[in-house]
Amino acid sequence: MQPKVAVLFGFGINCDHETKAVFELVGATADRIHVNRFIDGDAALETYDILAVPGGFSFGDHLGSGRLMGNRMRYAMRDALQAFVEAGKPIIGICNGFQVLVKTGLLPGPEGSASPDFIQRGSLGLNDSGLYEDRWVTLEFDPESPCIWTKGMTRMECPVRHGEGKYIMPSSEDLDRLASSNQLTVRYVDPDTPVGEGRTDVQLPYPLSPNGSMRNIAGICDSTGLVFGLMPHPEAIYAQWLHPHHTRDGAQPHGAGAMDGWEGEGLQLFRNAVEHVRSNR
Amino acid sequence: MTRVEVTPRQGEGMRDVRGDVVRRQLAADHNIRVLEVRSVYGFLIHGETSSDSIAQRMYDLFADPIIEQGAVNTILLTTEAFSKTPDAVITIGFKPGVTDNPGKAAKDGFTTLFPGDREATVATYQTYAFYGLPSEVDVNWLAGTLHNNLIQRALIADKEACNQQTWPELDYPTPPEQVFIPPQPMDLECDDATLEEISFNGLLALNLEEMQAIQAHYRDDTIRASRTAVGIVPNAPTDVELECLAQTWSEHCKHKIFASKIHHVDHETGEDTVIDSLFKTHIMTPTHDMQNDVDWLLSVFHDNSGVIAWDDTWSICMKAETHNSPSALDPYGGAMTGIVGVNRDIMGTGLGARPIANTDVFCFGPPNWEGDLPDNLFHPSRVLRGVHAGVRVGGNESGIPTVNGAIVFDDRYIGKPLVYCGTVGIMPRTLPDGRPSHIKTPLAGDIVYMVGGRVGYDGIHGATFSSLELTEESPSSAVQIGDPITQKKMLDMILEARDEGLITCITDNGAGGLSSSIGEMAEYTNGCEIDLAQVPLKQAGLSPWEILVSESQERMTVAVKPEDQATFEALADLHEVEATAVATFTSTGIFHVRYDETTVAYLPIEFLHDGVPQLQLESEWTPPTPPLFQPPSTADHSTLLTEMLQRPNIASKETWVRQYDHEVIAQTAIKPFVGVKRDGPGDAGVIAPIHGDPHGIVISCGIAPRYSDIDAGAMAAAAIDEAVRNAVCVGLDVDKMAGLDNFCWPDPIESVKTPDGRFKLAQLVRANRELERVCRAYRLPCVSGKDSMKNDYGSGPDKISIPPTLLFSLFGDHPDVRFSATSDFKRAGDRVYLVGTSHQELGASEIAYMLNERGEAAGIGGEVPQLSDPASNLNTYRQLSAAIHKGFVKTAHDCSEGGIAVALAEMCIGGRIGAEIDIDGTGTGDVWGRLWGESLGRIIVAVPEDSESDFLALMKGHPTTILGAVTESSDLIITDGEDHLLKSDVERMAEAWKGTLDMTGGVA
Repeated sequence: MQPKVAVLFGFGINCDHETKAVFELVGATADRIHVNRFIDGDAALETYDILAVPGGFSFGDHLGSGRLMGNRMRYAMRDALQAFVEAGKPIIGICNGFQVLVKTGLLPGPEGSASPDFIQRGSLGLNDSGLYEDRWVTLEFDPESPCIWTKGMTRMECPVRHGEGKYIMPSSEDLDRLASSNQLTVRYVDPDTPVGEGRTDVQLPYPLSPNGSMRNIAGICDSTGLVFGLMPHPEAIYAQWLHPHHTRDGAQPHGAGAMDGWEGEGLQLFRNAVEHVRSNR
Repeated sequence: MTRVEVTPRQGEGMRDVRGDVVRRQLAADHNIRVLEVRSVYGFLIHGETSSDSIAQRMYDLFADPIIEQGAVNTILLTTEAFSKTPDAVITIGFKPGVTDNPGKAAKDGFTTLFPGDREATVATYQTYAFYGLPSEVDVNWLAGTLHNNLIQRALIADKEACNQQTWPELDYPTPPEQVFIPPQPMDLECDDATLEEISFNGLLALNLEEMQAIQAHYRDDTIRASRTAVGIVPNAPTDVELECLAQTWSEHCKHKIFASKIHHVDHETGEDTVIDSLFKTHIMTPTHDMQNDVDWLLSVFHDNSGVIAWDDTWSICMKAETHNSPSALDPYGGAMTGIVGVNRDIMGTGLGARPIANTDVFCFGPPNWEGDLPDNLFHPSRVLRGVHAGVRVGGNESGIPTVNGAIVFDDRYIGKPLVYCGTVGIMPRTLPDGRPSHIKTPLAGDIVYMVGGRVGYDGIHGATFSSLELTEESPSSAVQIGDPITQKKMLDMILEARDEGLITCITDNGAGGLSSSIGEMAEYTNGCEIDLAQVPLKQAGLSPWEILVSESQERMTVAVKPEDQATFEALADLHEVEATAVATFTSTGIFHVRYDETTVAYLPIEFLHDGVPQLQLESEWTPPTPPLFQPPSTADHSTLLTEMLQRPNIASKETWVRQYDHEVIAQTAIKPFVGVKRDGPGDAGVIAPIHGDPHGIVISCGIAPRYSDIDAGAMAAAAIDEAVRNAVCVGLDVDKMAGLDNFCWPDPIESVKTPDGRFKLAQLVRANRELERVCRAYRLPCVSGKDSMKNDYGSGPDKISIPPTLLFSLFGDHPDVRFSATSDFKRAGDRVYLVGTSHQELGASEIAYMLNERGEAAGIGGEVPQLSDPASNLNTYRQLSAAIHKGFVKTAHDCSEGGIAVALAEMCIGGRIGAEIDIDGTGTGDVWGRLWGESLGRIIVAVPEDSESDFLALMKGHPTTILGAVTESSDLIITDGEDHLLKSDVERMAEAWKGTLDMTGGVA
């Protein structure tokens, strides 16, 4: 049985097609499900193994990115989401999806508990630059993170495409707590640093950190490592032909498959979750 | 009413970014340094829920509990949150009836929390508090820079008011009552002068012949008898009918100038001839001829966009539109409705296509303009910011990547900015039920739905208004703000309805509203019956004619079989999209409109669509003779290069382009900026829209308006060649490409207001002739196009007319995006070649304009670049494409504004590497011609040494000249044989190129 992925869409989510596609490229089956189908009971979240909340502009990001979609989920899908997380099923939120998960309180979630309490603990504010930007960044992953999505990943380049990506928590103790449990899964880094040594708490200058995020945080996971969200778009580098430098250093195409030698670094993240589901059956 | 105010918390690591943005823009645009600007977001809630209940849920909806603080029924300026006294406070809200998207979203969120209060409405406002405002800044002026009084209102507290703690409080914007006026007969039994007066006073934009044709229609006895039978006034049009005819017959909808009969006289050649429709002669016929030769032209001209077969499974389509007049009045709203409007053209193509890529091309006055501004015109920098923001929000929120575009500057666009918005769509060639997707299949009896937004007072008279010149009295109802989220929900729903086989016919509601959308679709079945009383309204009281012609946004018109109605409506409910049955297709031959049981319009379909008389126009060509461009005898070309790179027309547009999402959908293989630091110019966009498959689509454009100062024909040829060349540079398959012609012209009809109308029409004739000649030679069918013909401001000696401007957009096939090229130099040692030949063609070139503006050269006249042998160009392009597809060439860049010098500089910037170049032997021109000239047909390529012989073998017989090599150094060095011409450091070039249009005011 292939793992089944529910990819949410509707109300301005707009990365649903590619998010479905990348899960399918790594061996899952994926359905685009309109939020209201879960709310109306026309589709059941429990029949899925993975939930993806893709990027986009749900409700135009008015009243704060992810707020209104977060509320729809918090009030109308609360029980289903609670059961999904407690069942140990992976959830990913990318960009607007990350904002949604933070505002529902699924990320970072309660300390040391696998049971969500839907209390918002962090937020995503407007980029310090004041600009919405589409810009490639370099990311590095915490190898000690419990995050099941990022296992074995060290450094990756992919685009950010947001105006509200500055991760903020009320106090540095809040961030310290997440850091000590390795929940600061992925950070913006300076590409000139040696691989594996890029992560730092010292604020990186724009545009290395595209938004002024506290401690250069690009994404976090909950204490179980199953719920993960990030502002950058790993699905946008599913193939090397989407990398801005492919005309500079892309492989010469060879072999039968279009993706032979051209698989993008972002695909591993989705493969990790699909493998996780397979191995936990 | 409950008031909620929210402001960002002031804590460690937190900042008020909205305030910062205002502060930075004042610095960037006006050089005004303010110490600090703080912002407040306000919500005014009209409903049954108590303020106490709202206060309890404030942090669930209106304010973020972590980064914001809020207050209910309290002006935040009176609280601890604002302990210091500001120097000025400005509060801005929308005028009544103007689309308030944050308010709409807030209402939606409010209903989630308070499901019992469904009728509640929310309006928003923003307050800015200024600290350390220089005392010489006039607060009224400051407020003027922050809002547009056509659609917004502002309240001000100046220094004195601030000291007295008197803060502005905006009230809920209650729209004025609309008075329902039942349909009135419009008496046309009057003399000609009165007919013209009726047209003028009613903003109908109909000329005397057209008014007479309408008058004659109502004198026909058969017509009168048929009207009596249905109980409508027999011998005069109703206001509904007259408005409907004015919309349908508008220049905007009927393209009367392109369809006119033109008497053309050429004083240069002695030609004296008559052209019966420029469109049919020079655009449609060539494309139809090409349709006989290829099997991939599926649908041309008649639908909302042109459709070509991309492969066996998918077809692709493209459309470009302009939104110039609305963007002049409200740059933000006008441009946003431009982009979301052209997206709807794609949704309305065939049985519905999915928009997958946007293009934006803008023409503005210089952003650093310091001269006078005519009344009611915005400063070009403000137009740029507003238009850009509108297109950015419209495109980004719709989830459609902006992959290609351009920004062009010229003083004359101060009078009327040009805002071209294009969209590419994709659809499966065959739907699951077996119908070809590009063919509409309506039948009499099908039910017609209006889907999406509601109809309001906004957007009345857009089509006729755009057919008039801009004046101080231009109506505010012609301005609208788009609502991308409502449209996105509608798109999601429509694509599902299409795939379920529910749609028999679909078109968008744009210019002319329902009268155009249903009117055009009714041609398929030869009739329709509309009930305007069914149409959902934004506010009660709209009169029937207003409902019929309102151009309120985010609406599609969709026809469904009666047996599919329930399924269609259920799908609309799921997506929370409003869909209302408003009409039925018939085969009566009549466009029949009722309001409840009363017939309010009864027009024969034939008269509605074909009744407009053909215009008869005069055209006269005498070549303009601007003073010749004479370059100075000595020059420092290194300095000139830096200065050229700073010219707004050449400078990097990265600040602006990077704010567009150009990668959503995960398909963009060549992005707008390329190279080591991703800041070199991309020549064309390339997308691979089927995930996992490298089969691609190339999207490019060409535009060269200043060549019109010498010859509008050369302008058109240059635009087409540039579009093709840009696309070739990334790896276009030249044997499968299609084009879109978008003409923007000043009024070319001779009149008192336009004494030079004959010349302007002759420019149009020449542009069309060149369009046909070049497109035939390039085997490049035009599959869709549009024209905008009244791009003038004012009248008399103060009149500003735009330079005649053709935007040529291109979309075509890319066999495999893994074999693409980009403009950045790749590696030291790569050999640099010029493909094509330079001629002595400096007329209307960027270097000529620069030196002329500075008084260092007499004029800009001379030989404008010509396309003398396009057929041979095409063969050269085909070979170069082959070299890219075989992997021999990874670096190619087109040579246009600023010639070889600028093109090479850009290639060095992209690669952050130097090159040594010798321009000896590149053509017939002198040093100026070969270094700065803009001759067409030229592309610079770089080839790794180990591919050089393969490349040269492919290019045998095509003009290919060695220029030099990429070097390890950081300098671009150009010589002409023994003569040293210039040397420039790559970082210095990058700095010059990127500085001019940065305009961020710093991001710190």
